[in-house]
Amino acid sequence: MWYARVTEGTVFGGLQAPVLETLKGVPMLLESSDARVRERLLPETCDDPEDEAQWRRHAVPELERLFLSRAQLVRRDLAGVRKLANFDAHVLLVPTGHEAAWLGSLNAARLALFALNDLRAEHLEPEGFRKGTEKQQHAVLRIHLLAEIQSVLLGDVEIDDLDGSFEDFILE
Amino acid sequence: MTAVHGATKEQTETKTRGETQLAPPWHVIVHDDPVTLMTYVTKVFMQVFGYPQDKAQRLMLEVHKTGRSIVWTGAREQAEMYAQKLQAHHLLTSLEVADA
Repeated sequence: MWYARVTEGTVFGGLQAPVLETLKGVPMLLESSDARVRERLLPETCDDPEDEAQWRRHAVPELERLFLSRAQLVRRDLAGVRKLANFDAHVLLVPTGHEAAWLGSLNAARLALFALNDLRAEHLEPEGFRKGTEKQQHAVLRIHLLAEIQSVLLGDVEIDDLDGSFEDFILE
Repeated sequence: MTAVHGATKEQTETKTRGETQLAPPWHVIVHDDPVTLMTYVTKVFMQVFGYPQDKAQRLMLEVHKTGRSIVWTGAREQAEMYAQKLQAHHLLTSLEVADA
């Protein structure tokens, strides 16, 4: 996978099928009704049961709406994934202004994968990968892949600034 | 008139002191999780609270090293607003009465 900045936003290229599949899973994970995912994305917030009930009544529905709207936006951006003419790989544009929604959604997806696959902190450590089952190892790889995209959007990774638009870039 | 006015003022002051005692400050607490990127946590603290980078980074490291950090303390309503914003970014956040 490679990244670059174009006029409209950030381009992620060289996306092979497994990477695309992982990305397409992001909105689905955000919308998951699995109790483990919901418990992590909408955690118990107050010790007092009355305060917690009030939190569930007022704050949680707003958070749920926010997560759903982010999932829709990410899904729309993913629908715009393009295949480069002479390469067996795809290109995704994350438009300027969509970064916050993507960052939040990627974080949610990573947390959901962690919860759904019964992972522990040690599994994410360099030597911990081997300690997991095959299914857990796949989940860890996906978590790291999504972290790489997050790092790019956070500006933690230096990326090339291409002088042109996404369309120009696709046509080249 | 003066006496009545004085009594009303006294009652008001008593009531205000009483209400103040009934409304302790609340802590907004962020808990460590092994998944969320450290730079993301720092960025969220800067964005939500307007903290400078060094303070945001110090709090993030406290979360990472000790398992939790009180990132803000104040009136309940504002604490709830901050907790909601932090949870919107999926930081593991809870609320606690400060003198509990």
